[in-house]
Amino acid sequence: MPLDDPRIDRIIREYSLYQCLECGKCSASCPRLLAGKEYSPRLLAHKLIAEREDEAFIENSVWECLTCGLCEERCPSGVEFSRFILEMRALLAESKGLKGYRAHDGALHSWMRMMTSPDLEQNRLDWVDPELRVASEGPIAFFTGCAPYFDVFFSGIEVDTLSIVRDSIKLLNFLDIEPVLLKDERCCGHDLLWTGDIENFEILCKLNYNEFKAAGVEELVVSCPEGFHVLSEHMPKVIPGFDIKVTLLIDLLEREIRKGGKAFQPFKRRVTYQDPCRLGRMSGRYDGPRALLSMVPDLKLREMENSGRSAICCGNSGFINCDAYSKRIQVQRLREAKATGADLLVTACPKCMIHLTCAMSDPNKRGSLKMEIRDLVSVLADHIEYSEGEEFIKGRK
Amino acid sequence: MEKINLLGICCNWSPYACYNAAGMAKMKMPPNFRLIRVMCIGRINQAMILRAFEFGADGVILLECKDEDCRYGPGPEVGHVNVQRVREILRLLGIGQKRLVERSFSAHEKEELVKALWDFAELIESMGPNPAKPRQERVV
Repeated sequence: MPLDDPRIDRIIREYSLYQCLECGKCSASCPRLLAGKEYSPRLLAHKLIAEREDEAFIENSVWECLTCGLCEERCPSGVEFSRFILEMRALLAESKGLKGYRAHDGALHSWMRMMTSPDLEQNRLDWVDPELRVASEGPIAFFTGCAPYFDVFFSGIEVDTLSIVRDSIKLLNFLDIEPVLLKDERCCGHDLLWTGDIENFEILCKLNYNEFKAAGVEELVVSCPEGFHVLSEHMPKVIPGFDIKVTLLIDLLEREIRKGGKAFQPFKRRVTYQDPCRLGRMSGRYDGPRALLSMVPDLKLREMENSGRSAICCGNSGFINCDAYSKRIQVQRLREAKATGADLLVTACPKCMIHLTCAMSDPNKRGSLKMEIRDLVSVLADHIEYSEGEEFIKGRK
Repeated sequence: MEKINLLGICCNWSPYACYNAAGMAKMKMPPNFRLIRVMCIGRINQAMILRAFEFGADGVILLECKDEDCRYGPGPEVGHVNVQRVREILRLLGIGQKRLVERSFSAHEKEELVKALWDFAELIESMGPNPAKPRQERVV
């Protein structure tokens, strides 16, 4: 029986499950449980410690978690719940296979796994238009991620995640950086890692690392929070002697703008901001995005009822278990956004954009959830200028 | 040379009637060709086509009814949209859009169907094996 595995004891100890006081704060804050799903982080911890013979319950619960980290944020005992789930999934997948209902019938996981083929010659860069200055080798690269694929796959809901990538490169160009774009860069592997497919995740890491090295890359700039989380935290565990600096685009931007000489044009809008779980709770970036938004004149930031450390997930992570409960979370989140009186929802993760746009398109809601949604990077790229006010970025609308 | 794997996904109605009739007439079919019969091509989504490539198909042909013949309504139209999107993903991956073929038939067109299968086999044979043959998803 896999649940007798001594490795489970190690995982329980390592992520402090024995410190659990059964106070129930985790379950009281879990968005999935609050949406009505029969799932309880507190009960999962209890069963693992005291009733491990209830295998079915434990297994179901391990695949059910959103890994949004809200329970972990509230836990007074410091139980690292998300990382615990990550390791449990990897362990269960080893003996019982990959479980968890794959959203979109696993199409996204399919192409991510196809990318583990070493002979792949992708055509992922034909969206690069001439106004973007990019290089094919050099010290600084920009990690594009899955955006070209998402835009094709999700063309039914008309999301434009490639605009985030274009705007990121415009910002880098504005800072006089000509980033390398890699033709055969693979998926960062976030979704495979968080759904238990460690074997293919490690292959992707190695292929990506070889691509970076072959292009002479010393620093990687990433705008996607999931990409940043994986490249900076999980990839070094897979690649011994990982020697590439991973920088989050908004960190770089904030640093550069504080040096002076750059500012933003006024943008007279009321906006609200969705903290992505990988950016906020997993990478601790709560203030950076808000500081950048506050630098835009005339822009009014209205916080949602649950924001910052208590921000609610966009409903889904790693493209598994998207169901009616995910939808409820999304609808609740969009209602919170609407209640702020803002007319623009700013987020910083392409997946938040995809999931929330999908929920907005529900015909049964008759457009009552519709709201303009844009990435933070796009809002900033549209309004950045030299503070002398003479040289605007060329070619902006 | 590596064996070429050909997969057909076939609607139960017109195309399968053709396929059945061709079999009854003992017409020769391409080797290495496997057929999956579904009730309607509208049942097939992007994931299933991609999964075929993930599991090592070198070419996939969708055999569907003519638009106006669909027993259920929108089947072939759904097929067109899926094919268009999956082709674009195959292009991004560098696998090649031509590896996904879409053909439609009326119930009496068995010669046309067999010819389409041979043309498909020849096309994929000329393109060689799919460059992205990854490890398969673990079977539970």
